[in-house]
Amino acid sequence: MSLCNRNLKMSAVVVVHGGAWAIPDDLAKASVDGVKAAACEGHSVLKRGGSALDAVEAAVRALEDNTVFNAGHGGTLNTEGEVELDAIIMDGRTLGNGAVSSAKNIAHPVTLARAVMEKTSHCMLTSRGANQFAESIGMATVPTETMVTEYERKEWEKHKNYVTGVMEDFNAQWAHDTVGAVAVDCSGNVACATSTGGIRNKMVGRVGDSPIIGSGGYADNLSGAVSCTGHGESILKVTLARLIISHIEQGKSVADSSQLSLQYMGNRVHGAGGAIVVSPSGQWAATFTTERMAWAAVDHDVLWFGLDPNQRSKEQLSN
Amino acid sequence: MLPAVVVHGGAGHIPKERAQNSTSGVSAAARAGYIVLKGGGSSMDAVVEAVTQLENNPSFNAGCGSVLNVKGEVEMDAFVMDWKTLATGAVSAVRDIANPTQLARLVMDKTSHACLTAEGAKQFARSMGVPEVPMESLITEYSRMRWRKNLAPDANPVECQMGKMGTVGAVAVDSEGVVACATSTGGMLNKMEGQVGDTPCIGQSSNIHGQIFPEGHSQAVMSILKLSEAASDSALAYMKSRVDGLGGVVTVDPQGNWAARFSSRQMAWAAAQKDTLHYGLYTGEHFTQSIDEILL
Repeated sequence: MSLCNRNLKMSAVVVVHGGAWAIPDDLAKASVDGVKAAACEGHSVLKRGGSALDAVEAAVRALEDNTVFNAGHGGTLNTEGEVELDAIIMDGRTLGNGAVSSAKNIAHPVTLARAVMEKTSHCMLTSRGANQFAESIGMATVPTETMVTEYERKEWEKHKNYVTGVMEDFNAQWAHDTVGAVAVDCSGNVACATSTGGIRNKMVGRVGDSPIIGSGGYADNLSGAVSCTGHGESILKVTLARLIISHIEQGKSVADSSQLSLQYMGNRVHGAGGAIVVSPSGQWAATFTTERMAWAAVDHDVLWFGLDPNQRSKEQLSN
Repeated sequence: MLPAVVVHGGAGHIPKERAQNSTSGVSAAARAGYIVLKGGGSSMDAVVEAVTQLENNPSFNAGCGSVLNVKGEVEMDAFVMDWKTLATGAVSAVRDIANPTQLARLVMDKTSHACLTAEGAKQFARSMGVPEVPMESLITEYSRMRWRKNLAPDANPVECQMGKMGTVGAVAVDSEGVVACATSTGGMLNKMEGQVGDTPCIGQSSNIHGQIFPEGHSQAVMSILKLSEAASDSALAYMKSRVDGLGGVVTVDPQGNWAARFSSRQMAWAAAQKDTLHYGLYTGEHFTQSIDEILL
């Protein structure tokens, strides 16, 4: 925990997202409530002087616990009906990062990713190796039945029979409810975290953008922290998080950097998605090119949130 | 200036007794990639051919000759990327196949995904009719010796890694000006099971030259991009100053300008262009000979 001088003008900010996709009306309220609660979790950590790294982990854990999102509990199923989870966490101060891909039945992949960063000399563990490591640090596995919702199982059955080619053309319509968070703490350190169950009915062992540094997320104290969501294969092709950071390095605002990068992804590889960004000075943005993205942010004790394009609602938080 | 291919066999400090093998290995791989290009093959065909040769060559940390993980097993990563479509394919922690780069290409060509890992990658290989090979056939005496040495509690695998042949890779531009890249590795010496390094992660080990810069950037930036050497050196210097890391890169642009740069003591590299073979090992070395001469 870092000591926080309340007289510092620097403000601690946390932004979270619950996925960029055509969120249906029957999931809309739960999605917005979920991101608001996660943002408040992250905010409590920052308010008591916690680090940006602690804040993003806490926010993403809250989203992983929430079955309305495709991360941890509530994760989508691969083609064989199993849960395979990806996550990344990155510390902007040291550029330290940890990730897991294709980890099975872990309740909090973001915490496992943090353990990879802090307890090993590696940056990423996959599959059986990731699960072995989880066991070695006493992290329990959760039975598949507990992790998967009825809704997800029904959707999986339905989609099992779709031709992949058809789905590819409409990647903006796919469920991309990856979750993520970015934060800057009162010391000016930034951090990011992203977590997902991947694409429904993906091939066994499919790894998307979420756990890949520079694509699903990136954090650097010199420029900012980013977490992305959307069509994973498109995000990878343009290394979306790193692309946004590159624009910031060239002097553009966090909002313009996000817009330009998402537009480029749309033009170059016909991919849709969203990104949340925070700068070391507390500027932040939540941007998306899909129909909707559930997002929330806490900045100077004000809770901001949105779902539809151009929506920016706010609530004052009591101190 | 077109076509051209550049190949590397790993950056580190290569012991004298292994230097000859590394130089002849990368030269043979560059020649093989060049023959593909001259025959009208695509840059993707060329980089996959070049890296396949390096995977089959036991002197390199890829395919046969891969370093072992902490359990004494071979887990390999590979990546390919095509500039035309930004299509990519990768595998990580894959076991028991001879050519992970070819499998990465199949991921790109035959699936709607970008990366498959571990057991999923192996299942996919099986479904594609890729033959399974016994792990023993990928393990050399040298890699086993290195593994045993690094099991000792006071061993420093990172330092030892730099002393072994590293990751291999190739970049190429074909006669149509399309660039492609491929990278392959057995990973880190004595790594934990399931450890994935930079190789299969797009943007880390491989990228299409210029891709990190968005469209609409200024002419000034464009001119910098064309200076492959300057871009490579600047990137390596940044990695050294920011995270104290050493390494090497090979780059090529759509006009055929190429570079092989490294901040480590050595990097085995070779390039083929205009029927000339270029190669080197130590900093500052740049030998040339006709592509048709047999390298002694």
